[in-house]
Amino acid sequence: MVKKEVMIEPMTRLEGHLGIHAVADLEKGVYVDAHSFVVMFRGFEIILKGREPADAIWITQRICGVCPTPHAMASVQAVDMAYQAPPPPMGVLLRNFLHGAEQLYDAALGCLVLEGPDYSEAAVKKWNPDWWEKARKAKAPNAKLHGYKTIADIMRALNPLSGELWLRSLAVEKLGRKMASLLGGKHPHVVSMVPGGVAKTLTPTDLEQYAAMLAHHVAFAKEFIPVMDDLLDFVLSLGYDECGSRKVNLLSYGAYDDPEAYTANYEDMSNWGLKRAVSPGVVIDGELVTQDLIEINVGVREFIDRSYYEDWAGPSIAEDPAGNPLDAKHPWNKETKPKPGPYKAWDSKYSWAGSPRWEDWKKRVDGFAHSVEAGPIARMWVTAKAGNIPESTGSSLKFTLPKATVAGYKVADEMEFEWKIPERVNTVERVRARAYYYAYSAYVMYNQLLQALEMVKAGKAEVWRKYKKPKDGMGVGMTEAMRGALAHWVVMKGQRIQNYQVITPSGWNAGPRLSDADLGPYEDAIVGTPITEPTEGELSGIDVVRTIRSFDPCLACCVHLYQGDRCIREIPIC
Amino acid sequence: MEPEKIHVIWLSGQACTGCTVSFLNATHPSVVDILTGFIPQAAGITLDYHQTIMLPWGEEALKAVEAAERGELDPFVLVVEGAVPDEDKAGEGYWCAIGEEEGKPVTFSERLKRLAERAAAVVAAGTCSSFGGIPHGKPNPTGAKGVMDFLGKGWKSKLGIPVVNIPGCPVHGEHLAEVLAHAVLAVRGYLPLPELDEMHRPTYIFGHTAHENCPRCGLFADGKNSHAFGEPYCMGLLGCKGPISHCDVPKRGFVEGVGGCTAIGAICIGCTEPEFPDEPYGPFLKKAPAGFFVMEKIHSIGGSLDAVWSRIKEKFAGRKL
Repeated sequence: MVKKEVMIEPMTRLEGHLGIHAVADLEKGVYVDAHSFVVMFRGFEIILKGREPADAIWITQRICGVCPTPHAMASVQAVDMAYQAPPPPMGVLLRNFLHGAEQLYDAALGCLVLEGPDYSEAAVKKWNPDWWEKARKAKAPNAKLHGYKTIADIMRALNPLSGELWLRSLAVEKLGRKMASLLGGKHPHVVSMVPGGVAKTLTPTDLEQYAAMLAHHVAFAKEFIPVMDDLLDFVLSLGYDECGSRKVNLLSYGAYDDPEAYTANYEDMSNWGLKRAVSPGVVIDGELVTQDLIEINVGVREFIDRSYYEDWAGPSIAEDPAGNPLDAKHPWNKETKPKPGPYKAWDSKYSWAGSPRWEDWKKRVDGFAHSVEAGPIARMWVTAKAGNIPESTGSSLKFTLPKATVAGYKVADEMEFEWKIPERVNTVERVRARAYYYAYSAYVMYNQLLQALEMVKAGKAEVWRKYKKPKDGMGVGMTEAMRGALAHWVVMKGQRIQNYQVITPSGWNAGPRLSDADLGPYEDAIVGTPITEPTEGELSGIDVVRTIRSFDPCLACCVHLYQGDRCIREIPIC
Repeated sequence: MEPEKIHVIWLSGQACTGCTVSFLNATHPSVVDILTGFIPQAAGITLDYHQTIMLPWGEEALKAVEAAERGELDPFVLVVEGAVPDEDKAGEGYWCAIGEEEGKPVTFSERLKRLAERAAAVVAAGTCSSFGGIPHGKPNPTGAKGVMDFLGKGWKSKLGIPVVNIPGCPVHGEHLAEVLAHAVLAVRGYLPLPELDEMHRPTYIFGHTAHENCPRCGLFADGKNSHAFGEPYCMGLLGCKGPISHCDVPKRGFVEGVGGCTAIGAICIGCTEPEFPDEPYGPFLKKAPAGFFVMEKIHSIGGSLDAVWSRIKEKFAGRKL
């Protein structure tokens, strides 16, 4: 076997800096091994110890400046629960509007600024010149909607700093952050999430201002989704479906609470979880095994066998507040004990990320903790399958975006969208799900905005409720960041944080292997990915990059390539 | 006229990338405006290294950092995002690495040391790189600190410029865009360098407190306090740290004038300050120390007397008493 190593570091992401080490088999034209490693540590869980639990709402947003609001959401829900401080319905809606505004910015950023350039003229001409020739001749089926005649025209529009879609996306993204600033004071790092509701003086024009900005997103979705469909269908037609493919193991915590259902009470969590506009659920080998948020929470495990941490003593909390058994590896029992270790020790500890797994603890089929993947594809898949909401058909998610007349956009009329559950989970379908999640988020925000106006009319405009902080308590906040399932766990003793744990979506996706048979999702997705670029000469790793990007590792990255010990190339990617 | 190039290297350490995202919020000028240079006096800025928004798609990225380290990229401005960890505390491992040399990780602090020696100016974007920020919160597990502390407070660049701090968590996009645009005009002799305070912050941005810049400040002076979130008055009783924080966001807003922490009814958590997130800023929902208000009241009485006296003294003057 002619092996070639590809070293990609730093591939910055979430809590900083990510690296990928991949091994290619040049004879078979496929990647055969991969290690994902996180190379930065700040120690949030240690810094939070002993502070007031509410401080975590502000502090944990600083884990990630690209997706801070879901951190605020997970944290405020965990603290709501620990403080027994349920917000009034308008408080729940305003939180959703903050969350939704960020998803609208973040989905466009992911698809068009971070992932898009991998399929731009600049990248394709360089790494897949045969694609470029085909793209020039391929007519874009949705040209009437978006105005790009050929696939090559779309690829040209994705060129960093000059492409039309790339530049327009920057403006659309800023509008998402502006919506978050309207209700949250600023973005990144909104300041208005507080236990018991929202710290926002609702003015008579706030909802209309939000709506006016939302209209831009609704209008943009009607071009953006057809563009992505055309581009991604073209890439699939070239036989790209093996790229980044892995088994259908998915995790969604759900998002966008029903304002009348959310109580911040753990025992009720199964109920209000099911009422979310994005459904919670776990999929193992293509089967939806549960939709129960309590069951999902109890099944979470975090292992540190291959991570720069020391193990901790057994369980200190035996049961959750509903009386279910808590494993020693459950985050409510976890302690963070960092221990820096050597670089690239592939046979031992090699990453600052832990290895989260989900155990089907109720059925206990084999006691095996599954490596599950988080992301918009998990949210869309579960919501489409679950049938909890009218838009869910069991095999697709079907919804209509309303009419929106906004200067500078091509389609004003209402438009129906249908996201169909794909046959496989791969690089292309992850990106497509992200685009459709943008449209679905705009749809949910629109409907909840109408609901908010009715509530204002009915005199239910209260945004916050006073609470009495108990001495002890525990809480969990489970929500969705753009790149997937995000949860915070807090244990409060004497009104202070005794333990605070966070598992981010990139924790689920980027975590290192537990054994060579149990890889983390990034690693698993790379193994088996075919090499589409020319293999004679230097290897760029473009297929690895596209696969990792399809998980949306937040940031662009700098790619270093090594052949043996010799550094052969370093590539920045916008 | 073809302006001389000014290179920018943007380096991230213990960062969350919030400052980068916030930089994209800047509008007049925007990041694209700065990089494309509409007027020749402000043109010629090239972003040679930035993990997220760099100009070139190609092979030149980390090479630019290495060229800058060797002094081959000149002049360049180093913008730092994120805190600097103490690698001596990391034992046989490392806290934060950027790339590797001869199979070993190159730590962020090593890169920073090499680049600072060659830089024309060093700008700390955000509270982490200015003062340590969240990573240096007690008990500061990684020994994190700001760039000014790392290089030494008396440190000056080879052009004689001290570290310029633009705190804020994240940095305000417009603050950063304005300071960078200002610095270019200063380097070319059109403007003097921005005036800095003792914490190396531009005084025109950080000269007043969030309280002084707050649209609710007048209501406070009029004795109106909010007692519950949602009320439209001064947020001091609900934990606002505006009186002890230096910031113009309540007045300026955050994205194209929209937002502003206290303006919308939230509290100031002191995210621009060296002690953030520790006392006296955290716990965030705890009321700010009362001492400030005593001084403010004394000043306020003086101001009221002045307002009354300045009116009646003219009358007295008219009557030639």
